[in-house]
Amino acid sequence: MKTPFFGKHTLFGAALAAVLAIPAHAGDYMIMAPAAPGGGWDSTARSMQEVMQAEGIAGSVQVQNVPGAGGTVGLAQFASTAGGDPSQLIVGGYVMVGAILTNESPVSLADVTPIARLTGEAVAIAVSAASPYQTINELVDAMKADPGAVSWAGGSAGGVDHITVGLLAKAAGIDPTKINYVAFSGGGEALAAILGNQVTVGISGVGEFLPQVEAGTMRILAVSTAEKWAGTDAPTLMESGYDVNVQNWRMVAAAPGLSAEQKAAVTADVDKLVNSAGWKSLLETKGWANTYLSGADFDKQLALEVEATTAVLKDIGLVK
Amino acid sequence: MIHDLRGPQGRPQRAAFIVAGLLAALGGLALWQGFALPDKGGYAGMGSGGLPKFVGAGLLALAAGHVWTGLRAQGPLPPRIQPAPVLWIVAGLLAQLLLLKPLGFTIASGLLFALTAAGLGRSLRITLPVGLALAFAIYAVFDQLLQLHLPAGWIETLVFGG
Amino acid sequence: MTTFDFLIQGLGMAMDPMILLYALIGVTLGTAVGVLPGIGPALTVALLLPVTYGLDPAGSLIMFAGIYYGGMYGGSTTSILLNTPGESASIVTALEGNKMARAGRGGPALATAAIGSFVAGLIATLALAFLAPHIVKLALIFGPREYFALMMLAFVTVSAAFGDSAMKGLTSLFVGLFLALVGIDQLTGQARLSFGVPELLDGVEVTTLAVALFAIGEALFVASHGTMAADKIEAVKGSVWMTRADWARSWKPWLRGTAIGFPIGAMPAGGAEIGTLLSYAAEKRLAKNPEEFGHGAIEGVAGPEAANNASAAGTLVPLLTLGLPTSATAAILLAGFQQFGLQPGPLLFVTSPQLVWGLIASLLIANVMLLVLNLPLIRLWVKLLTIPKPWLYAGILLFATLGTIGMNPSPVELAMLLTFGIMGFAMRVHGYPIAPVVVGLILGPMAEQQLRRALSIAQGDWTTLVSTPIAAGILLAAALALVVPMILRLRGRGEVLSRLAADED
Repeated sequence: MKTPFFGKHTLFGAALAAVLAIPAHAGDYMIMAPAAPGGGWDSTARSMQEVMQAEGIAGSVQVQNVPGAGGTVGLAQFASTAGGDPSQLIVGGYVMVGAILTNESPVSLADVTPIARLTGEAVAIAVSAASPYQTINELVDAMKADPGAVSWAGGSAGGVDHITVGLLAKAAGIDPTKINYVAFSGGGEALAAILGNQVTVGISGVGEFLPQVEAGTMRILAVSTAEKWAGTDAPTLMESGYDVNVQNWRMVAAAPGLSAEQKAAVTADVDKLVNSAGWKSLLETKGWANTYLSGADFDKQLALEVEATTAVLKDIGLVK
Repeated sequence: MIHDLRGPQGRPQRAAFIVAGLLAALGGLALWQGFALPDKGGYAGMGSGGLPKFVGAGLLALAAGHVWTGLRAQGPLPPRIQPAPVLWIVAGLLAQLLLLKPLGFTIASGLLFALTAAGLGRSLRITLPVGLALAFAIYAVFDQLLQLHLPAGWIETLVFGG
Repeated sequence: MTTFDFLIQGLGMAMDPMILLYALIGVTLGTAVGVLPGIGPALTVALLLPVTYGLDPAGSLIMFAGIYYGGMYGGSTTSILLNTPGESASIVTALEGNKMARAGRGGPALATAAIGSFVAGLIATLALAFLAPHIVKLALIFGPREYFALMMLAFVTVSAAFGDSAMKGLTSLFVGLFLALVGIDQLTGQARLSFGVPELLDGVEVTTLAVALFAIGEALFVASHGTMAADKIEAVKGSVWMTRADWARSWKPWLRGTAIGFPIGAMPAGGAEIGTLLSYAAEKRLAKNPEEFGHGAIEGVAGPEAANNASAAGTLVPLLTLGLPTSATAAILLAGFQQFGLQPGPLLFVTSPQLVWGLIASLLIANVMLLVLNLPLIRLWVKLLTIPKPWLYAGILLFATLGTIGMNPSPVELAMLLTFGIMGFAMRVHGYPIAPVVVGLILGPMAEQQLRRALSIAQGDWTTLVSTPIAAGILLAAALALVVPMILRLRGRGEVLSRLAADED
């Protein structure tokens, strides 16, 4: 973004900030969803908007979509225009951590002020009901024998699904570059490939598989989180003897260059949001799990995950 | 309609050579990309370099084809076009591109409208106010009423607030 | 209760005047946002979904269906009148539809699109209700190799339908394929031809390209003739409505379009564009007067528009029976379900039949409402074309950029519009067909990804491509479609064919 528009962004941001300063609602927010309308980050941003306004946490909340490249386009714009403005927020998630690395994005999460993790979901490994594999250990043994013969259907390359397979391979002592990972666009297409027995095994958000499990068309072999996931009694990877702990989370971050008081004020507002009745009922209708984590705990967790993700993406060969 | 402008003439086709040059450039670019990418074909045996190589080869073949027809065929005369109105419109699009962020939707898009209509023969003195009014109305309907987020400038913030 | 009882009950519920009013509002709002180029039905619904939050379930469902159908229909209106496709599935509509509009037959073009959409929507929705479980079994048989074969068939038939000068057609197609290379390769995550520009990592948006080539390229082309151009657009020549001949020429394409669009829409990786392309190719091949194609053949509007609507209903098959959202549109419908705290899945038909049938009934009602709203409006719409050229083209450009700005107000995106617009202008000046560029951009990445997926699953064994009867059969059909016209041409019988296809852009 070192184009002529850079200056204009700043100008625009400054003008906007100036205008926002005149009405001086302390609690006005502009939330950037670094994705097109309709996706997970967009609906997170719009849900925040809805609840913050309904619960009176903020006077007026606007959502702005800046789609592109796993959120890195929006992140770069946010980092360059929002600096020092406590009324600007950006939504993001684990996918962004991977995208920053694989796209060699010049802007990273270190260039904004992460506030809190809001929601999360386990990644699940599942096979169709007709599959011969009953447990995750059988599957991993088959991979050890011939990694190419076990084809994995999941989301885009370098995404959370791919990372999880890489971590699993590593934990099981299999060369992560040897996994036969077939990337599909969108959960539906991958799911169809699994149900149609086109591939050996599938990996995706647990929510996508649960209805299939209920209908008896699929089996979940394992989930990626540290604890069992509600709605399935499938074992965790940890329980099965593989040291893998992945959660596909969504977070909210504030502008770079905030003072400690400003950061505390934003954190307090997000805290109010998460503890409101409106947010809780919204999570229930959307089927999102509350994995709220803020402050120093979140910062520490984030740093750990960035480190682990960088390592595994290197192992898979997606990052130099 | 196109044929009205071009009569069959016995002269080498300059256009064919220009097209050939452009195709060769694109083809070269695709080929370069195809070979520059580290091969991660994995089990497929065909990685992300496969299609660029195919497309690059195809474009080069088509470039050769254009050279051949250019040398051989009785080419049509280059069509007569009036560059002025085209430049007006391109200027309008450029103005919108550059002014959208700093000045907002109304001014940028109003200018596009004004310059386009002016290029097609109307006076700027009329098209400018019409364009601004129309763009403002569109902003009001789509941004305020239908929740489509359009870039705001000082006009929009003045009228509708932050 | 039987299937039929549920449907009747749903329809009965929807007859309430308040519900009909909601349907009307939904359809109107959906059309208003859906006409914006680049903003397809999925985005329209996403943007307008909050409007439905405050309503009771029945009202919210019907409004939702209305917005959805309105968003779909909006795209074809601008395709026909302004040569500005509102979404990728209505690009093909612009080919013949706009030619008709320019010849004063905008009325019949809009009518055949509206009625064709209605007929296709009706048949496909009923097929959804009664055949979904069977169709979905068929759809799951399709894996990467079968999709690859299908893409090859689409490539071959579509290119044959576009070609007068094989060289110029192929040049356009390869330029499209080149553009398809731009962005992150989905299977490896490697960036291709994006030169470090983050906005290019997601590739070239199909609607951006189509709007630029069709609308902006044409505005520049018209401008380049300056005042000497004599091609005044006649807004209405003959009847505004469809004549008896129009009906006679439209009904078969409607049915064929439905038959092509519905199953392809039901396939998890099918997509609406392929259906419209195949339908266009089929109509051109079957038409009594193929020479009219490229100059405003009503079959070329009727078929693809029906296919486009039928495939939208088709995407509901895997959604409702398997819980698979296979398109952006279906994913957005999922969001609609979630408002009621329900997760569509394999058991949805069993656990909440009222909701499923309510949705199906709502779709039927919205479909009718759209027809009721739009047929009388056609007379008004075609008046748009009587606007003097400077104002008309200024308006088209304002509007064409509005969609792009609304979706992603990035200078890079606008710069792409400008670049491709100039490219479209140059192509028109030198007689290169425009449509194959868009076809290359749509089909190129799909074919590439399916091929590499198939090979990856088979660990590099190319014979996998013909290892199932379906894949082998489709590839054989594609090969025949490629070879047979060549033989005919060699025998001299192709002369007519090639002369007929001349000068279409």
